Amino acid sequence: MEMFSSLLCREHFVVTASPAPGQVLKGGVDKITVIWGLNQTLPAGTDSAYKTVKVKLCYAPVSQADRGWRKTKDSMKKDKTCPYKIVDRPYNSANKTSQSVEWTVKRDVPTATYFVRVYAFDADENEVAYGQTTDAHKTTTLIQVEAISGRHKTMDICSIFFSAFSVLSLAGFFYIEKRKGKRSQ
Amino acid sequence: MAGVEGSPGSSMHGVTGREQSFAFSVTSPAVPTDTTAKFDLPVDSEHKAKVFKVFSLANPHMRTFHLSWISFFTCFVSTFAAAPLVPIIRDNLNLTKSDIGNAGVASVSGSIFSRLVMGAVCDLLGPRYGCAFLIMLAAPTVFCMSFVNSAGGYLAVRFMIGFSLATFVSCQYWMSTMFNSKIIGLVNGTAAGWGNMGGGATQLIMPLVYQLIKRSGSTSFSAWRIAFFVPGWLHVISGILVLTLGQDLPDGNLGALKKKGDAAKDKFSKILWYAVTNYRTWIFVLLYGYSMGVELSTDNVIAEYFYDRFDLNLHTAGLIAACFGMANLVARPFGGYSSDFAARYFGMRGRLWVLWTLQTLGGVFCIWLGRANTLPIAITAMILFSIGAQAACGATFGIIPFISRRSLGIISGLTGAGGNFGSGLTQLIFFSSSMSTAAGLSWMGVMICACTLPVAFVYFPQWGGMLCPASKDVVKSSEESYYASEWDEEEKQKGMHQQSLKFAENSRSERGKRIASAPTPTNTTPNHV
Repeated sequence: MEMFSSLLCREHFVVTASPAPGQVLKGGVDKITVIWGLNQTLPAGTDSAYKTVKVKLCYAPVSQADRGWRKTKDSMKKDKTCPYKIVDRPYNSANKTSQSVEWTVKRDVPTATYFVRVYAFDADENEVAYGQTTDAHKTTTLIQVEAISGRHKTMDICSIFFSAFSVLSLAGFFYIEKRKGKRSQ
Repeated sequence: MAGVEGSPGSSMHGVTGREQSFAFSVTSPAVPTDTTAKFDLPVDSEHKAKVFKVFSLANPHMRTFHLSWISFFTCFVSTFAAAPLVPIIRDNLNLTKSDIGNAGVASVSGSIFSRLVMGAVCDLLGPRYGCAFLIMLAAPTVFCMSFVNSAGGYLAVRFMIGFSLATFVSCQYWMSTMFNSKIIGLVNGTAAGWGNMGGGATQLIMPLVYQLIKRSGSTSFSAWRIAFFVPGWLHVISGILVLTLGQDLPDGNLGALKKKGDAAKDKFSKILWYAVTNYRTWIFVLLYGYSMGVELSTDNVIAEYFYDRFDLNLHTAGLIAACFGMANLVARPFGGYSSDFAARYFGMRGRLWVLWTLQTLGGVFCIWLGRANTLPIAITAMILFSIGAQAACGATFGIIPFISRRSLGIISGLTGAGGNFGSGLTQLIFFSSSMSTAAGLSWMGVMICACTLPVAFVYFPQWGGMLCPASKDVVKSSEESYYASEWDEEEKQKGMHQQSLKFAENSRSERGKRIASAPTPTNTTPNHV
């Protein structure tokens, strides 16, 4: 499907994720377990076209506010809601009800509020169904991630060292030249 | 040159404005060569170089030129170093669009003030120490970027790094101590243009450094912080080079020189008054905000724009963004040259038309850039926009020396400040709100076209304006009357206006092809300059 809106009637998966409400996942350290399965109330054969499944980490609206580069767009090609891939695997028609994956939150995942979405693709790599951990308004059961800062003690020390070097060499030059000036007078 | 060392505006004294943009040398006997001096280049009686040999490193003149533009270039690199890395930084620090926009405004605001202070520092310590002090004291602010954890910290550090753009003043001041006034226009224009290129080079350097660091195993959130060490080291290295290889004046350093006592010192309050009460000053302050100002704003937003709009990776977006700033290599001198070329036939009226045309075209291409939906068209529009805006900067300084002789320094300073102010304003209006960057660029283009219209109001009685010819009044239509009007009777009695009269005579070329009709003034004896 090219437009997400045409997928809305095809929320065929039930998806849950491990974090408890209020739990904050630390980037690079904590793991998230996603469990998804086909909705049991659907008629048999609904999933006949599904070939691959992708599980993605997506921004919740609160983390998209005032950030146009994370905007949700209806066109699937232009949509920037779900940038982080958790897993990409072939659809297992033998085990429809309970697929799971355990994923360590990568170190380049930014601090934000997320939800998890599962997409099913057909043989032509088109999205044909989906499911997500949150409701249609993307306000419930959200996941908090706290990213690494990217700072290291070594970096801090080098920063201070080179800063001090700059100031002290300037002061040193100035002092030496002033003294030379005084001596020659 | 009778200008006293250190008086306000003295760094621009000697810029008659009559210099052809491409005058590479001054011939004797126009300016006599001092044959007793032992320098690599021919020098005048003050030992200032009469020749501009770009690819030479001859001490002290050409060496100073290279030290000077390189230190200014370095400051542009560090001030705009964050721009191509914003896609990474915004994730690490959880920035919103307004955070990014405000930091961009902050990065150009600091130097509005630091430029004013730098003039005084150069007067007190000399341009060599002025430059070295600023560049080496700014190095810690660049290294501080690695500590930043929040939007507030990001803004504060970008603000502090932006102070270093005052090296523009030390650069121009230093050039004027080393090069004869007849070629200072080209020398200063080249130094300024090549320094501005730093804003383009950084868009190339920073993503490359970032990728290299990432490849060696770092995470993205650490790699961008480490990348900032490169501009930091550039600051330290160029500062040390300036201190060890540079000298204030052709004959040595400032402390060793005696001051000239013969010329009367001008009063700062008077110079300021004549600058501020000349309406042309304010038109050019506005105009420069929409040539230089929009150039600086675009330096801050263009890489992120290409990254987001066309889904490019970081170094491709950086490469394209670099083309914008690097166009300064030729675009700015081209603007100056076009201005001079038009002046040969149409005088000042030609200069004004050239400025309006170049700047308005820049605005039109900026509108197009925002509306371009495909990558090749966007790149084309961007390059044409860069040429328009940067050539307009060059053309602006083809006119500024003629606005006033007495207050030239302050007017140049105010114009420069107007550039930074325009940059802050455009970033605030167009790139800090929920408006998309594409719409922001287009509306900025519209504002450029609108704010360039006031140049039609610039009128010189002796030369005319864009729409009106020169005054027919015999008295008002002389250059002498225009430039002498900046001095009151008492000052004229003391002969303080002699420099202005000499300048007026030299500026008759701004009549274009009407020079032959200029009446010769009868009661002025030009001082030996």
